[in-house]
Amino acid sequence: MLTFGSPAFLLAGALAALVPLALHLIRRRPPSRAPLPTARFLSLDPRTSVRVSRPTDLLLLALRMLLLVLAAAAFARPVWRPAARGTASVVLLDRGAAMGGGDAWPRAVSAARQRLLGPRGEVLGTLVLFDSAATVVPPSHVAPTLFDSLAAARPTGGSSRYAVALRAIPAAVGGLREADSVRVALVSRPRWNAWSDGMGPLRRAVWPGAIELVELPDLDAGDSDIIADNVKAKEAIYFANALDRLSYAKPALAATGWRVRSAAASADAVLDSARLIVVAAAVPASAEAGLRRAAEAGATLLVTAPAAASLRGIIPWAGAMRVDSGGGGMWLASGPHVSGAGMRVSGDAARGASVIASWDDGRPAAAARRLGRGCVVFAATELERGEMTLDAEYPRLLDGLARGCEAADGASSIDRNAPLDAGARAVLRGTGARVVAARTVPGWGGGVPLGRWALAAALLAALAETFFAYARRRAV
Amino acid sequence: MTARSDFLPPGLLEHLGGLELVARTVVRGFQAGIHRSPLRGAGEDFARHRDYQQGDDVRYLDWKLFARTDRLYVREFEERSNLQAYLVVDASASMEYAGAGGVSKLRYASYLAAALAHLMIGAGDAVGLAAFGAEPRLLLAPKARKGHLHDLMLNLERLQPGGTAGAAELLDRLGTSMRRGGRVILVSDLLDDDGGEALVAAAGRLSARGDEVIALRVLTPEESGDAAPDAGLFFDPEQPRREVPATPRADSGYAARVAAYYASLADRLRERAVEYVPVSTAEPVEQALVAWINRRRG
Repeated sequence: MLTFGSPAFLLAGALAALVPLALHLIRRRPPSRAPLPTARFLSLDPRTSVRVSRPTDLLLLALRMLLLVLAAAAFARPVWRPAARGTASVVLLDRGAAMGGGDAWPRAVSAARQRLLGPRGEVLGTLVLFDSAATVVPPSHVAPTLFDSLAAARPTGGSSRYAVALRAIPAAVGGLREADSVRVALVSRPRWNAWSDGMGPLRRAVWPGAIELVELPDLDAGDSDIIADNVKAKEAIYFANALDRLSYAKPALAATGWRVRSAAASADAVLDSARLIVVAAAVPASAEAGLRRAAEAGATLLVTAPAAASLRGIIPWAGAMRVDSGGGGMWLASGPHVSGAGMRVSGDAARGASVIASWDDGRPAAAARRLGRGCVVFAATELERGEMTLDAEYPRLLDGLARGCEAADGASSIDRNAPLDAGARAVLRGTGARVVAARTVPGWGGGVPLGRWALAAALLAALAETFFAYARRRAV
Repeated sequence: MTARSDFLPPGLLEHLGGLELVARTVVRGFQAGIHRSPLRGAGEDFARHRDYQQGDDVRYLDWKLFARTDRLYVREFEERSNLQAYLVVDASASMEYAGAGGVSKLRYASYLAAALAHLMIGAGDAVGLAAFGAEPRLLLAPKARKGHLHDLMLNLERLQPGGTAGAAELLDRLGTSMRRGGRVILVSDLLDDDGGEALVAAAGRLSARGDEVIALRVLTPEESGDAAPDAGLFFDPEQPRREVPATPRADSGYAARVAAYYASLADRLRERAVEYVPVSTAEPVEQALVAWINRRRG
């Protein structure tokens, strides 16, 4: 089947081909002047001009029309495709350790089967099995027996890597050239331990459309202390003196999955239930003990520049702490870059602390250090000030700061096994249509492009037109 | 040398060598030829033997050769006559016309004149050359010697078309400069604004005083209408400002009008004992001459 990427050019080419036709029909040349000694015996032709039409004129007309049509066809990006088979699917099936426990694995295999086998058993796409490595199962090998054997087997027990699965998508799509559109689904139990830095750019590079996340439910509470602790981790206290100044960070944290509450600095009672405590303003000296205790109990204490002086004994920061205006851009070690910080505090990470963010000039912008079971993070800027609050990466910056010790000392087993938050899920899903037309897939096209051949034919027509036009002039 | 070969290619000479220009009138002269001259036998030069053919005059059988070879041969003699002839070539502007892919009328006329000069000088006739175009000119006085042929060729080669002069004035001048009983061969397209009246009158005057006048009319197929051109803006080279938008190929009356013009001219010339010979440039020169000679022999 011949398809065109830009069919409007065909209409334009057809209209353009009418121009030489019209010129051919309306053109009347003045007669050529020629000697004839017996001109006295001629009778006057009543026509003042004659339309001289030779067989070569028709050939030239045909060549010119052909030239225009072929050039337009080349611009229309013609592609010859075999008979299309509708929408095909690529299923990324996680077979890592996270799929163990409960009936997650059989349900995952069943979900993949539903998407890859039609009601009459016809194959609808390609299966990608992945953990720390990916295996592409081509459509020719996708069969009911495959899913039966998969369901009967167990997950591999390896750690899952979404990056590996994503990188396998182009190869999987490449085996579906007979389809006219493709959709991709990820069947997994989304955990942080499958995540890796740079997932956002990788995700955008491998697939232009959205990916359907087929999430299997987490294990029941009580199956693991880790999960129970993760529930707690979603609690955050936003701690400031002036509560009405928390108009940016609160919704940003909420966007990344945190349940944020605001409290006065003296509300010690709420600290025990918080996984994250954000100190956005100076606190009274009496509050330091409560915050230290909460951190030692497992909470992350995120201290911002305005509170640095009041919590000097806790924060992992050393130096003069001189306030400079104009913080500039901040790079978080985990990837996000946020520009437009309104101010910065000079100094460096304290002994035993790790730098988890840097300014554009390379100087440290944030540091983290363990405190008991918890963590203290210091951000050398004010999170509610400057244009950074308008940056799209602002929520991820806050989320990254809130996980400061994970970035500092590597992922703790507890947090890396936590479910992906909403932001990470959004990154995995991506934007765009869930079903992507084949012609929009970069580097695929799904057929044989004929544009260059049309262009070559147009060039041949142009050469032939030049030759015949020259021969005609010689003949005249 | 090149020009001479151009005018008289070997093939043409081969074809024309056996032809004899048969005069209609008896030319009085010093030497006898195969013309019906009363002075036959006096001063004739032996040329060659050839096989006897039925109808040959037995007086010319070579009996001595018969006695030796037991075969019949007749003796041939080179003709000698005192005929004074003028070749009059039209070099007016209209003679430059060539038609599609052919030679110009002037070139074709030069071929004809050269061939005729060769034949006539070969027959002992004195041949002169005159031309008219920009003006009437007597180029060469009639002479019979072989070397004169070269001068004729050179002058024919140098002819350039141009001008609108007619033949009548030149024919009248010939009438005053050549002896009576001569021959004037006019090679022209015979296209005159007056319908050929002056030409017919002048040719008639020559004929009336005893000269043999032959008018070879040279025309291209485009002019005669046999291969009329397609649409165009046409003009007479002798009157370039008068343009005629026409489609000769679609003009059914064009060929008829041309034919009527020449038919009228031919009738008037014949009335004055002038021989009219239509020739087309599409026709090989030797073929045209052979056809003409055969017609003369009847």
